[in-house]
Amino acid sequence: MTASPGVGGLWRHFHRPIYFSLVILTTLGAMSLLSAAIQDGGTTPLELLLLILYVILMLWINASFWTAAIGFIRLLRRPDDPGGPVVASAVAPQGEAGGPFKTALVMPIYNEDPERVFAGLRAIWASLVETGRHQDFEIFILSDTRDPDIWVKEEMHWRRWVEELGQPARLFYRNRVENTARKSGNLADFCRGWGGRYRYMIVLDADSIMTGATLVEMVRRMEADRRLALIQVPPVPVNRHSLFARMLQFAGSLYGRMFVAGLAFWQQDTGNFWGHNAIIRVRPFADHCGLPKLPGREPFGGDILSHDFVEAALLARAGWKVRLADDLGGSYEEIPPTLIDYAKRDRRWCQGNLQHARLVLARGFKALSRVHFAMGVMSYLASPLWLLFLLATGIEAYFKSLQRPVYFFGDNVLPVWPQTYTVEMTTVLVVTLAMLFLPKVMALFLLAVKPRLGRLFGGVPRATLSVVIESLFSVLLAPVLMLFQSKFVAAIILRTTVGWPPQQRGDHQTGFAQALGAHGSHTLIAVIAGGLAYLYVPSFFWWFTPVLAGLALSIPVSMITSRTSLGMLARRAGFFLTPEESAEPPVLRQLERNLASPSPLLCGEVDERDLWSRAVVDPCAYALHASLLPDETPSRRRRHYLEGLIFQLQDEGASSLTAAEKRALLSHRDGLYELHTLLWAGAEPPATPVAGAGASARP
Amino acid sequence: MGAGVAPPLDETPVPPGVAPGQGQGLEASDWERAAARVFAYLGAMGVREPKELELLREQIRPRVEARALAAPLEDPIEAAIEETHALLDLWIVSELGLEGDADTLFAARAGVLGGGVPGWSARWAGLSGCSLAPEIRALCVPPVPEPAPLTMEPNPIDLFLHRLTGRLAAIVRCVLGRPAGPNPAARGHS
Repeated sequence: MTASPGVGGLWRHFHRPIYFSLVILTTLGAMSLLSAAIQDGGTTPLELLLLILYVILMLWINASFWTAAIGFIRLLRRPDDPGGPVVASAVAPQGEAGGPFKTALVMPIYNEDPERVFAGLRAIWASLVETGRHQDFEIFILSDTRDPDIWVKEEMHWRRWVEELGQPARLFYRNRVENTARKSGNLADFCRGWGGRYRYMIVLDADSIMTGATLVEMVRRMEADRRLALIQVPPVPVNRHSLFARMLQFAGSLYGRMFVAGLAFWQQDTGNFWGHNAIIRVRPFADHCGLPKLPGREPFGGDILSHDFVEAALLARAGWKVRLADDLGGSYEEIPPTLIDYAKRDRRWCQGNLQHARLVLARGFKALSRVHFAMGVMSYLASPLWLLFLLATGIEAYFKSLQRPVYFFGDNVLPVWPQTYTVEMTTVLVVTLAMLFLPKVMALFLLAVKPRLGRLFGGVPRATLSVVIESLFSVLLAPVLMLFQSKFVAAIILRTTVGWPPQQRGDHQTGFAQALGAHGSHTLIAVIAGGLAYLYVPSFFWWFTPVLAGLALSIPVSMITSRTSLGMLARRAGFFLTPEESAEPPVLRQLERNLASPSPLLCGEVDERDLWSRAVVDPCAYALHASLLPDETPSRRRRHYLEGLIFQLQDEGASSLTAAEKRALLSHRDGLYELHTLLWAGAEPPATPVAGAGASARP
Repeated sequence: MGAGVAPPLDETPVPPGVAPGQGQGLEASDWERAAARVFAYLGAMGVREPKELELLREQIRPRVEARALAAPLEDPIEAAIEETHALLDLWIVSELGLEGDADTLFAARAGVLGGGVPGWSARWAGLSGCSLAPEIRALCVPPVPEPAPLTMEPNPIDLFLHRLTGRLAAIVRCVLGRPAGPNPAARGHS
């Protein structure tokens, strides 16, 4: 939206006032509409509560709407489609003193699937090699993995790849002894140990994929502005096949680009960090982003869980620029395949985001950083607020239904008709729905005026039908997510645990038992609430049906949307197509190839169920694992503990050991050596795979 | 050498409470049992050729016997496995000319046993005169680069009203005549 550098520079100062004015003015407008509708003979406390809740929720909806609307205008004026291919710059990066420098691709991992981790990294590296700039980059796998079997497998993958790459070493791996402060602690540990070696680090998640050209371009942009500390490249969701995930990918790709363009408009140099697919200037990060423990107990005290927002705010507080590169493509991530997995991810994120409530008013942060914190909090708090709003509306409707209209007052022979506010209430509803659904219409309009983009989404007719179906499903899914998130917020505030098994990242389907366990309560709530509404406030019941339908149908909807067959059927029919599916980028094709034909591991065929015992028994796996352990002697106390575990293993078998105990046995060279020789000296020699099988399979 | 590295022959460990030279030597039957396990262990390492196996066994035997003479063996098989391991380490150390660099030794051992050095077992057994040092060194890839540390201290975040509530709580405690409890706001600055 800039005409010339001078005008553009001046125009930049108006971005935020324009955006925030639009948000506030539309909220005030909506508020006045509702207050006019409910102020019938004074305002009751319940009506006041309704009004307050509505204002908060409308503020939230309007913030999203105007972000999308501004993004829509920006994309309309942009000649090139955003997210298109990035061409690597021809300018080689130079150090501040004219010398070369290195960029680390850091991937913090925690019990992730090693096959996927290394397949992804190999695809990224292959793409980087194509740019011819790979010598400026090094890969650093920052493992916080606690599962001993996954730990050993990570090492085998690392060793195999490192031998393929040869010298000089550009692929590094370390497993942290203690995973203090989780992911933020993992990154801090990297900075404290090796940060001085790199000028930049590009943080990747276990399921991140980035093209080499984008990586090179990120470095070039950082070099072009020495006050720039972080560039976040928005990741596009890809690679999932279930109906739920494909609808989410479609929505993320189609509407996401508008939201991102809008965000970049008003965030400017006080952007946010989303935790991955971002480049960071290492030295200011080390200087300013060491995170303190928040005072008090969990959930609001202790380690900062959602560290990324806080790190961005700390960089901005120190005067560094943080930007969102809405015009850069080649950045991808994978999303949860089912509704239940999506909820599980929400559970993890919810606590971290709610913790930010304490930081909104903390001293020294920039105003926009406070907005980021508040928006993070609202992304989860909105659900219980909506729930409260619905309850308050139902109670209000019930009280209204008890009132009997009086048409004749005193001796007056003419009836006094009660005032109706149907027009005002309908307007409120229409405005709210418009704010929610207009971005979808704008996105379709973009496809219509940009034919090439339209074709990538399967053509305008199919994309329109996809939007309609996606909207119907999102109406059904919204109340379910509302109840999930409300439960999480309540559990966090009440300091109780919500039992959730770990999230599964790969495609899989929801069975009836799992769906019943997760959504049984939702169905029950729908039946009870629907019954009560129908009996006592029949007029409210019909308004309430979209919410009730979502809850009542949650079990079949959750199961149906998890089906990969339906997702693939929709793909073949051209529905929910994304540009990444229509014209698959080479880096994603490479990832598929890597996953389809993984490199053979070291040390022969591997039984993935018990890699831990391989590292203890098999000389090859043992030697590899021992070589990656720190060269330190355990304390006497530790040595006794390890000896105790060895006795336990000998007397009661490996099944008697917990994962933490198995990990302890693998953690010291001394203990491992003792165990290795003891097992080989047992009554029977241990069963090992054929040595050298891995060697024979090598190129 | 660091932890987990087997000692060379002249540093044979003696159990506590046993004076050096008190061992009774190695019984033939003990060695037979140990030799069978050593064969299995060498096989698991990747040594297949019968001649190599035989030569290595002949190198391991005197080491176990020396240990048995130095001190009574708790378990001859365990001693034999340890000596096999020690023999491999000694060969790598001599092949690479290492001096007390445990990490390189471990990396080299991983490279050799990972099957990346063709002909290593023949060389270890003494059947080959060609040095494998370049091949082994090429496999000694460090898992992490040289340290290049940066300081990264926690940055203070001054929470709204936190300091004030801490002070108010202290005042209330003082008014009520109770001993001052820990002030979380002040603790960060101590």
